[in-house]
Amino acid sequence: MSDNSSGKENWKKGVEKLLKGDKAESLNRQSPEGFEIQALYDSEDVSNRNVDPGYPGEFPFTRGPYSSMYTQRPWTIRQYAGFSTAEESNKFYRQALEKGQKGLSVAFDLATHRGYDSDHPRVVGDVGKAGVAIDSVEDMKILFDGIPLDKMSVSMTMNGAVIPIMAAYIVAAEEQGVSTEKLSGTIQNDILKEFMVRNTYIYPPQESMRLVSDIIEYTSEKMPRFNSISISGYHMQEAGADSALELAFTLADGLEYVKTAVESGLDVDAFAPRLSFFFAIGMNFLMEVSKLRAARTLWAELMKEHFEPKNQKSLMLRTHCQTSGWSLTAQDPLNNVVRTTIEAMAAVLGGTQSLHTNSYDEAISLPTETSSRIARNTQTIIQEETDITHTVDPLGGSYAIESMTHDLKEKAKTIINEVMEMGGMAKAIEEGYPKRKIEESAAIKQAGIDKGDITIVGVNKYVNEKEDPVDILDIDNTGVRDGQVDLIDEIKAKRDKVATKEALLAITEAARSGEGNILDLAVEATRRRATVGEISTALEQAWGRHTATNQTIKGVYESVYKSDKGYQEIKSKIDAFSEEEGRRPRILVVKMGQDGHDRGAKVVATAFADMGFDVDVGPLFSTPEEAAKQAIENDVHVIGVSTLAAGHKTLIPDLVKILKKEEAGDIIIVAGGVIPVQDYDFLYEAGVSAIFGPGTNIPKAASKVIDEIRAKKA
Amino acid sequence: MTIDELAKGVQEGKRRHLAKAITLVESNREADQQTAQDLISKVRSAKETIRVGISGVPGVGKSTFIEALGNLLIEEGLKVAVLAVDPSSPATGGSILGDKTRMETLSSKDEAFIRPSPTSGTLGGVAKRTRESMMLCEAAGYDVILVETVGVGQSEFEVASMVDCFLVLMLPGAGDSLQGIKRGIMEIIDILVINKADGDQEKMAKNAVTEYQNAFHLLTPKYDGIGVDFLTVSSIKKKRIDEAWEKIQGFISALKEKGIFEAQRKEQELNWFKRLVEDEVLRRLWGSETNKEKAAELVEQIKKGEITPVKAAYDFLSSEISR
Repeated sequence: MSDNSSGKENWKKGVEKLLKGDKAESLNRQSPEGFEIQALYDSEDVSNRNVDPGYPGEFPFTRGPYSSMYTQRPWTIRQYAGFSTAEESNKFYRQALEKGQKGLSVAFDLATHRGYDSDHPRVVGDVGKAGVAIDSVEDMKILFDGIPLDKMSVSMTMNGAVIPIMAAYIVAAEEQGVSTEKLSGTIQNDILKEFMVRNTYIYPPQESMRLVSDIIEYTSEKMPRFNSISISGYHMQEAGADSALELAFTLADGLEYVKTAVESGLDVDAFAPRLSFFFAIGMNFLMEVSKLRAARTLWAELMKEHFEPKNQKSLMLRTHCQTSGWSLTAQDPLNNVVRTTIEAMAAVLGGTQSLHTNSYDEAISLPTETSSRIARNTQTIIQEETDITHTVDPLGGSYAIESMTHDLKEKAKTIINEVMEMGGMAKAIEEGYPKRKIEESAAIKQAGIDKGDITIVGVNKYVNEKEDPVDILDIDNTGVRDGQVDLIDEIKAKRDKVATKEALLAITEAARSGEGNILDLAVEATRRRATVGEISTALEQAWGRHTATNQTIKGVYESVYKSDKGYQEIKSKIDAFSEEEGRRPRILVVKMGQDGHDRGAKVVATAFADMGFDVDVGPLFSTPEEAAKQAIENDVHVIGVSTLAAGHKTLIPDLVKILKKEEAGDIIIVAGGVIPVQDYDFLYEAGVSAIFGPGTNIPKAASKVIDEIRAKKA
Repeated sequence: MTIDELAKGVQEGKRRHLAKAITLVESNREADQQTAQDLISKVRSAKETIRVGISGVPGVGKSTFIEALGNLLIEEGLKVAVLAVDPSSPATGGSILGDKTRMETLSSKDEAFIRPSPTSGTLGGVAKRTRESMMLCEAAGYDVILVETVGVGQSEFEVASMVDCFLVLMLPGAGDSLQGIKRGIMEIIDILVINKADGDQEKMAKNAVTEYQNAFHLLTPKYDGIGVDFLTVSSIKKKRIDEAWEKIQGFISALKEKGIFEAQRKEQELNWFKRLVEDEVLRRLWGSETNKEKAAELVEQIKKGEITPVKAAYDFLSSEISR
């Protein structure tokens, strides 16, 4: 060790010889997170950073929350799934459990997320798509039929309609004969991130925080084995956040929840051990391993500093991970199996407690039976065929990993401090700070991909010229909806109307007064057969529905791209069009239905504006009628429909019909997002001029849009 | 679509036609400008309308206020058009127009027409386009025209010069020593509304009103016998929006009683005429090729010190003034 420094000098000399004159430092890279990735790390880097990862199961838990980790029991294979009806999803769950899956994770449809029953007119295109439709406890009972809820841990991704869904789960268990203290699992219940990304909120922020707090209170008293919240960075990364932003905003959200619960009178140790986390794992392998290690370390430090818990478990960050959906490509989709495997390895080497691996076809549609099986097997193979589980934190002590863990932690800490200076995460969100940072990060990344600085195999490099079509799962949305509506009618006919009404009034009253536990009251209303939509409405009567103020950034995309020749060409093309036309090409970027994932829409809006379009941004959750009205009033040339939740086959033809009726058939429609190739012909026939799948080069898309407008005019 | 079809559609209140007509008015092509003027002459209506300008700094809640007010007007059986002027969008390149995301319920109503407009490169500037779009909306049967503008640059003065009532939104805290108010703005305000007066901020908003009242007390009123009106609202909680509408109506009635209403509209038109002439003269003056050359020549001479600026100006104008 004594001649370490001369060792390093020798290495540098060796490198510089290979580089033929360039400095060894020229091999270092700047990470998107904003720190330097060294070409080589050595023991000095670790000692300079004063890193001591300690032991697993001990503060600060860098090497894992538990001492034995996977050597005793591997992580839980927890595949997120749900589609169509409760019956269909139940069948799927039971099969998966037979084939090695260990825990359930329920995906609800968007109508349910937003607190609408299936018979609501706003959700026609959303019922049973992208998740299972749950309108009442009767649906929930079918969903878990034959699955003993005292034994099966159930994770539920629900944030907006979190109260009626928790209530339906509790009552379904009750009617199975299982009492609340035996229930184990996780409710996502992370509303703060909904206001930044994903957008499946219902009520205004302050009121929503009351619900979070009521759930934490209820579970800490009655459901000791249930995780009351899953603080999620996943959707931030999916929306474009780099690892430092994801880590920082997630932990800052966590601190805000703890603060809220403590302020409501709970002892930190009564609930902190039941907080869980949820991170995305993308393709930056070493960075993602480091992220999970840094997350545990930083959380332990922050909790200790701010809340001084007595129970060690309150310092311990336990997390679920999911491989990145955004990293999947629609092009050459079998490549996604490889991507998911690499990401799964990073999650495991980072020490996750449970994991969802994506199916290779998820950039195209809902997973099929085959793709789901391969996704699940990706995990069983790592668990049972490799030696990865035989050693705890096998990458611990690696110079690179320890240094990166430290650097990422420090970077996140700086961002958290900024948030703290603003008065915490709730305040920062109100000011739009995290949303803006994430959108900037997304626009920069998109420009990097379009320009070719960032490689995505099969998309911007090594493109497969002849694509084979992939089998997809298509949901008969109308059929599901009809069935759900019948069931709702039946429940409403059978129940004691007066009793239901009383229970719902009690909820509205508690929402108004601030007294009582709303989950408690919702459980009672659910026993009396109030529906998910009715309970949501009871709260809405007191609080209203939240409308986001939508800010869109400008200039970031161009800042990365402007020197590029192709970019200048498209700008000139747009300028020429404006000259002829007497105005700039005008596009309405719209999302229809209840899907709130607006990364694609936002990136397109900001890039198109930078290139010279006038861009109208439609409100989230538009109906086809609303989109048509806005397009007509603003007299746009083109409507760009962003669709990620499979509602396009219902919503786009509706839009076309309305435009024609309003004598606005000359407005062209282009679509982008997750659209299976099998649907292309259907959409072209319906009147769509162009379809842009994931991975589309944005300047090329813009150029195509201009051509289409010209063609229509001719 | 022919010009007659377009005019007919506008007069029948067809959304598609009104939108196309506004596009024509906004066009940067000179040929379109001619057509636009023909169109406006064809559709001019004598309908009774109310034109309200609404201004305030970014973040004050203009869109939320308009959403609440617009919905209230529709409940009263009126049709509402909203024209949004955003001078902060860049001079070149495209813009992002996200206004409607903040007027979700209003934008979906049949009785509402909302048109946000980019400002880049418009012939005649923001004022010309908005004024003409306003006329088109009136011809299409809209009773109340709300012109929204961000309190930046000259746009507030431009908008105030084309409406009957100019309303400015303020934040509760901004009352502190009137820092929130721009020089010259006080003279053009008819109604000052403190928004976001809810929860903890309610008391702050009331204090702000008192401070503003004291400050405005010192001003000579814009109209004899009609003072500036003040009120606090919460757009998000829809509190006292009805009072805001009552105050606007009260103000308009007062103008009418005193015979100012019609006179002011006439005067606005006359000023507008003058302004157009001036703009056009300037445009032609600087736009003609021979003038450009002559000017360039003189500029060079000034730079070299061969001629004084005053002499150069006389030379320039005497050579071209006959045209």
